[in-house]
Amino acid sequence: MEEHKLSHISRRSFLKISAGTALLTAVSLPKTSLARTGEKLSTLIDLSLCDGCVDREMPACVSACKTIHNDKVPQVIENIPEPWPRKTIEDWSKKKDVFNRLTPYNFIYIHKAVINVKGQHTALYIPRRCMHCDNPACATICPFSANHKNKNGAVVIDQDLCFGGAKCKDVCPWEIPQRQSGVGIYLHVLPGLMGNGVMYKCDLCNDRLSQGKLPGCIEECPRQAMLIGPRKDIEARAEERARQMNGYIYGKKENGGTSTLYVSPVSFELIGKTMTKQPGQPDMQPDVKRRMADTDPLGKAVLAAPALGLAAAGTAGALKWFSRRKELTNRVKDNG
Amino acid sequence: MAEKILAEKNLVVRHSAIELIEHWAIAISGLILLLTGIFELPVGKRYYIITLPGLGWSADYITSLYLHYAAALVFTAAGIFHLVYHGVLGEKGMIPQKGDVVKSIAVMKSFIGIGKEPPMHKYLPEQRLAYVGMAFIILMLVLSGLVKTYKNIYAPDMSYTVLLWATWIHNSFFVLFFLAFLAHMAAIALRPNWPMVRGIFTGRVRLDYARHRHTLWLADIEKIVAVPAVTVPATASSATEAELMPEPQTLTEEESLSVVKEVPVETNDEAANQKITSDRSE
Ligand code: HEM
Ligand code: SF4
Ligand code: SF4
Repeated sequence: MEEHKLSHISRRSFLKISAGTALLTAVSLPKTSLARTGEKLSTLIDLSLCDGCVDREMPACVSACKTIHNDKVPQVIENIPEPWPRKTIEDWSKKKDVFNRLTPYNFIYIHKAVINVKGQHTALYIPRRCMHCDNPACATICPFSANHKNKNGAVVIDQDLCFGGAKCKDVCPWEIPQRQSGVGIYLHVLPGLMGNGVMYKCDLCNDRLSQGKLPGCIEECPRQAMLIGPRKDIEARAEERARQMNGYIYGKKENGGTSTLYVSPVSFELIGKTMTKQPGQPDMQPDVKRRMADTDPLGKAVLAAPALGLAAAGTAGALKWFSRRKELTNRVKDNG
Repeated sequence: MAEKILAEKNLVVRHSAIELIEHWAIAISGLILLLTGIFELPVGKRYYIITLPGLGWSADYITSLYLHYAAALVFTAAGIFHLVYHGVLGEKGMIPQKGDVVKSIAVMKSFIGIGKEPPMHKYLPEQRLAYVGMAFIILMLVLSGLVKTYKNIYAPDMSYTVLLWATWIHNSFFVLFFLAFLAHMAAIALRPNWPMVRGIFTGRVRLDYARHRHTLWLADIEKIVAVPAVTVPATASSATEAELMPEPQTLTEEESLSVVKEVPVETNDEAANQKITSDRSE
């Protein structure tokens, strides 16, 4: 069974990953699909290949993703408690079909960018989803650690622990996570006073990865526009493709580095201009900064604080000792 | 250590300058940690805290994190300083003693008019018990906070088990810290404890109060004063001699030592010195 799975996967991932030159060898591929080895994975999205599935009702990646994830969101309760005092309720349960933006039921969507390149209008299709950042604030400062970065790079929200406070969305430069009210653990604690649902976003199909399967979007893409593989290989592949098409990469430096690399023949400066940030529709600012990086120096000082306290105690203790000694010698002198 | 009787002013020095600095460093940074820790939760927008004047930043988690880190730096360093400094000096005044639970109940009963307070040391039995409680809470907050800080900087993909432990310890002890702080305030609000309040600001409390309530403490101070007379030869010196000098206007031991230098020493006779001290304190 295991063997069958493995050979099945290596064949499939090989197909996906070798949709260019055969840079990645079959040898490295079975590892690719095994999330449990903890090997760092990256994905590549090649904008020169994606055609937005314009001939289909719904892009293949989007519908694959919906099929895999939609029934994982629990049934939303009848009367969603009204949060106090701010009464925001976000209920997508009756709009599950929406697929032109991110929602709790839609983790990937395609942005169409029409760009004037050398006097010619060119349409680019850009699949958008969570970037699975290298140091994701969405995960690191989740107050319940419901959102966590796995060793393989996948940033995954545990929907049983999430209270839906949307902090992750606020600290994500692309505001990726989306809230569904009326589900989750908050209903059993103090609904109305704390929490407001569960946050949802792409989890890189981490469950499937651990079963040795590919993420749904990658598996179903008819044009092999997306690849997954060991981080080093994918990075090399992205560089190579960018060189070949004299193009650009997005996701390498953005938000401090991510494990999603977009390769595009058109600059992301221009692509970004076709986007205005709207709820569920992120923009694509090049070089967007990881704000939390600015707090790192102070954080390092905090890690050094125990040593500081120790040094201060040593100094104060020594001073006290010396001043006593000096005092005593003085007194002995005075007293003859 | 800095403890001494300033009889002519009707005061006893209760805390040294170092102890006052420690207390306020921990208290102020602790309050900032409490506030910015709350602002690390998604409450700023939801509870309209951002609309309050001066709190517009309360929903900006990165700003709160800066402040949380800054306060954590002081809090952690002061906590470690406290443990090591007083540990090495062997000061045990706040460590609970046998029978403290029973005694603390007696003290609390006396607050509501049942029975009399037992004679007390420098700290009440409940203060000693509260001290270990608070020390433990602070230790857990610091340890879990350090793990969280390490994760933010170096290891976002650290062991999920360790991280969940650190997170839930941090959150639970945050609640305990808040409750302990409220209890601390409640204790101060009790009338019999009022005279101690000036102590944590100025380092001194009223002598008549201490004599009446902290009988064992005063006996200790006076005993320390008496000890060198018995055990130390007249010419030899010991640290406690400084404390036994008549003190005109000292606040801390450090100061008292420098004052001593200027005070001409009239006699080597320890017993005489002691007599001066006790005369003054009567
Ligand atoms: C009085 C002491 C403290 C209180 C009341 C307190 C409270 C809190 C609370 C309520 C949170 C938000 C919930 C959470 O993220 O778990 C938090 C977050 C945090 N605390 Fe503290 N804390 C205290 C001390 C410390 C110390 C001493 C450190 C570091 C040594 C620290 C480091 C952090 C960090 C880094 C976060 C941000 C969230 C994260 O990175 O996961 N805290 N604190
Ligand atoms: S893109 Fe946003 S949600 Fe995804 S890992 Fe990065 S910060 Fe988190
Ligand atoms: S990535 Fe593939 S499946 Fe998704 S829209 Fe583009 S071509 Fe279709």
